[in-house]
Amino acid sequence: MPILKVTNLVKRFGPPSGGFVAVDNISFNLEEGEILGILGPNGAGKTTVIQMLLGVLTPTSGQILYFGKNLIDNREEILEKINFSSTYTNLPWDLTVKENLTFISYLYKVKDRQKRINRIVEIFRLEDILNQEMKNLSSGQITRVNLAKSFINMPKVLLLDEPTASLDPEVAAFVRDLLLKERKEFKVSIIVTSHDMSEVEEICDRIIFINKGRIIADNTPYNLAKTIKNTHVNLMVRDGLVKLKEFMAANRISYRIEGNYLIIDINEKDISQFLRTITAIGVIYEEISIEKPTLKDYFLEVARL
Amino acid sequence: MKIHRIYAIILRYLYLFRHNLDRINNIIYWPLIDLSLWGLTSLFFLRLNPQAPQIILIVLSGVILWLVVYWGQYEVSINLLEDLWNKNLINLFSSPLKFSEWISAFLLIGLIRSAISFAVASIYAYILYRFKIVLYGFNLLPFFILLIMSGWWVGFFVGGIILRYGTRLQSLAGTAIVFLAPFSAVYYPRSILPQWAQTISLLLPTSYIFEGAREIITGQSLDWQKVLVAAVLSIFYLSIGFIFLYRSFIKILDKGLLKLI
Repeated sequence: MPILKVTNLVKRFGPPSGGFVAVDNISFNLEEGEILGILGPNGAGKTTVIQMLLGVLTPTSGQILYFGKNLIDNREEILEKINFSSTYTNLPWDLTVKENLTFISYLYKVKDRQKRINRIVEIFRLEDILNQEMKNLSSGQITRVNLAKSFINMPKVLLLDEPTASLDPEVAAFVRDLLLKERKEFKVSIIVTSHDMSEVEEICDRIIFINKGRIIADNTPYNLAKTIKNTHVNLMVRDGLVKLKEFMAANRISYRIEGNYLIIDINEKDISQFLRTITAIGVIYEEISIEKPTLKDYFLEVARL
Repeated sequence: MKIHRIYAIILRYLYLFRHNLDRINNIIYWPLIDLSLWGLTSLFFLRLNPQAPQIILIVLSGVILWLVVYWGQYEVSINLLEDLWNKNLINLFSSPLKFSEWISAFLLIGLIRSAISFAVASIYAYILYRFKIVLYGFNLLPFFILLIMSGWWVGFFVGGIILRYGTRLQSLAGTAIVFLAPFSAVYYPRSILPQWAQTISLLLPTSYIFEGAREIITGQSLDWQKVLVAAVLSIFYLSIGFIFLYRSFIKILDKGLLKLI
């Protein structure tokens, strides 16, 4: 049985006729211990989905089942086992980090409350800012506190909306490691939205790609990236640049220049033929590197649609 | 309802109170200003007309009892606004917290705040004018309870409007109840109002409360009929107010709590 089962979820804002459909009949599952990424361009409907999964936005139709139980009918029981962190929400500004963690802990049934808060403080390295008011923290520190808050009740399901936004690379890496560790140790199921494609590629087992409120892809990061055929060939050309540009224009091969490099988008299977041909017409290159398609390429390709 | 979740909201309020000098200031400053201004004014009127010694009792008791209803309402509305200003509603309602628990916490906060305001104002009144409102003790208690209920139901209506229309109407938190003051016969009998205003006044529990309390302060006995009418009206408005607030909340859940800023 999946931990979360979403069936035919629809969210329409405004009147039935002429309103705006933000989420259009989407269905997906989240398995125990799975990390699922929800990706999509701005306005695709990701945050709307997250809000409905949290029970803070009423779906127009469809069903959300956690642990086999309907969210609407079993709200209290279900929300006791889930938590979330988002860049779009704040904890009370005037309260200190410690006060926020304490009052939030009372919203849940937390066993050995003080011990749990101390553990969270330790995990998220909040000791130095514990007595500072939220309004005096940097955006990176706020993100860390929000994340710490989401672990306060040892959730079975975590919903993370842009969890590493505003974090410096070192802390972002720490958070990614932490999520992977929590999943491994406690079989926490995680849904994450992010604009950091490398992050999503690194931590997610599966990705749902949403555009205009619809799921247009549901696959592993590797398989999604594989659907993009073009690779990037980076060439540092020593001689014959004009000839090379003429050749590419004649063969309608797209390219761009970045610094000393000419970056060519070309189907992977055509690379060897391409290199042979440009060598034959007198192009001499000093360096070459080939970048395989990534999730970012997939994202850019689909976002253009 | 779970006590620990209601406690969470009250705890947040207590933390907030500790950090916010405005709130502490409100407890100390406003009762002092109100009692000084109105007390001195009534002393001046007493000097003009020494035949009306009760004027100072009527005015001071009006000030003190008005603080109960004002701060009760203010706390319900302002704490709801605090969650909006802090974009904290999603944190609250993505937890197991129920709407009824959230509102119960506000009611308790309003009750505590009203009691504190009453106590502080009573101390000031004694220090400044040797006026002992506590002497009227148990006779005033039913009116005190009804005043707190009045603060709550006005707070419900204001809260419902704020939930529906967002912070664009946030000033209502501090001003809505003031609109009711002229019709509530706080310092004067209802009969002094023009006829149309008397009709409005008859529909407000606060007018029965202040009239009844004034009777006690001026040495008359407790009028249970006024208590009864005020209680019925208060329960009626409290019920309607709660339904309005709840429906506003359901409406905003349809738009999304994230949009509520």
